Amino acid sequence: MNARLHRGTFARLLSAWVCVLGGAQALAAPEPVKKEIAARLERQYPDLKGADYALGSAAFDTELRAALEEHANAAAESIEAGRALWNAKFRDAKSLASCFPNGGRRIAQNYPQYDAGLKRVVTIAMAVNQCLKVHKQPLYDPADPATMGAIVAYVRSLALGQRIAVRVPAAAEEKFEQGRRLYFTRLGQRNFACASCHLQSAGKRYGDVALSAPIGQATHWPEIRGAKPVMLQARMRECLELMGAAPFPVGSEELNQIEFFLTYLSNGQPLKAGAWRPG
Amino acid sequence: MRHDLAILAFACAVATGTQAQVAARDLFVRADKGQCIACHQLPEGAGAATRADIGPRLDGGRMRALGKAGLRQSIADPTVANPDTVMPPFGRHRILDAGEIERLVEFLLALP
Repeated sequence: MNARLHRGTFARLLSAWVCVLGGAQALAAPEPVKKEIAARLERQYPDLKGADYALGSAAFDTELRAALEEHANAAAESIEAGRALWNAKFRDAKSLASCFPNGGRRIAQNYPQYDAGLKRVVTIAMAVNQCLKVHKQPLYDPADPATMGAIVAYVRSLALGQRIAVRVPAAAEEKFEQGRRLYFTRLGQRNFACASCHLQSAGKRYGDVALSAPIGQATHWPEIRGAKPVMLQARMRECLELMGAAPFPVGSEELNQIEFFLTYLSNGQPLKAGAWRPG
Repeated sequence: MRHDLAILAFACAVATGTQAQVAARDLFVRADKGQCIACHQLPEGAGAATRADIGPRLDGGRMRALGKAGLRQSIADPTVANPDTVMPPFGRHRILDAGEIERLVEFLLALP
């Protein structure tokens, strides 16, 4: 109980501190940040091809890479469930498909997006719930694998192979910067930052698991683990728990900003979806 | 009678020593404790085997070269020696108490 309180308080204080800093420090422009991280990874792994980063941790694990090919259709069931929800008619005869350009084809590579009206980063899951709200439908739990996970798996399957192309307009640079700071700030009882494992130790093994690098980390979601889709933010929460920090909720500003930052780093990488992982 | 007591005392000492080793090994792998195994490998046959390589392999010779005080400090707060280390400050952040750190130090010093 005390340890839990300590962890939670610690994480919240650090988060507040990061937010205070966010208003006080100069912004780092997105492209130089990406180039610096890419250069560092290139020094660490000169033989790794750029496109290999899209494999996530499998880029550093030949056994996992082989297993991915064996389980290439691992997401089929989730994608099918997502397709049904995507095309299900609302009472007004519209559907999720009708809320998005081209029925949702080739849009996923552009998410998360900055919504200038809301002044917020909008993920695919948020955009889905915005559509449901407009059409007076019950919203999906953004953390639920069976509904939102399946929908995200389906929408991303409609953009397979598209180059990730997240834009950070000037008004959104603060959100990108906040995501970057959260990624690099040590949190929780174990004093890890995301970057401690995924940049400083990228490609090394935590237990038996190879650690993915920040570039390519946002390309292949949802992962399919134990036949269930695991979304990027759900995975971030698992990491935060390992760090001994109170995890931010799925859909929170903090996780949206980290997702925004990470997905921008993967710009130019081919979008994948439903990468299999051991259960 | 005196002979029996001596045997009993010896057996207790062995059992206590073994318990301490097991407890330290437990600290080494437990997710809510040190979980050193997530980042470090042990010499073959000295405990659970993983492919972890975030931190260096924990060979007994290297542990003894660091010495008891060095190991204690490395576990309690490795950021003192290296602010950029990814190793958690197990003592400073109260993941392990002083007694648990001592047990781990003894375990590491006894590694082959």
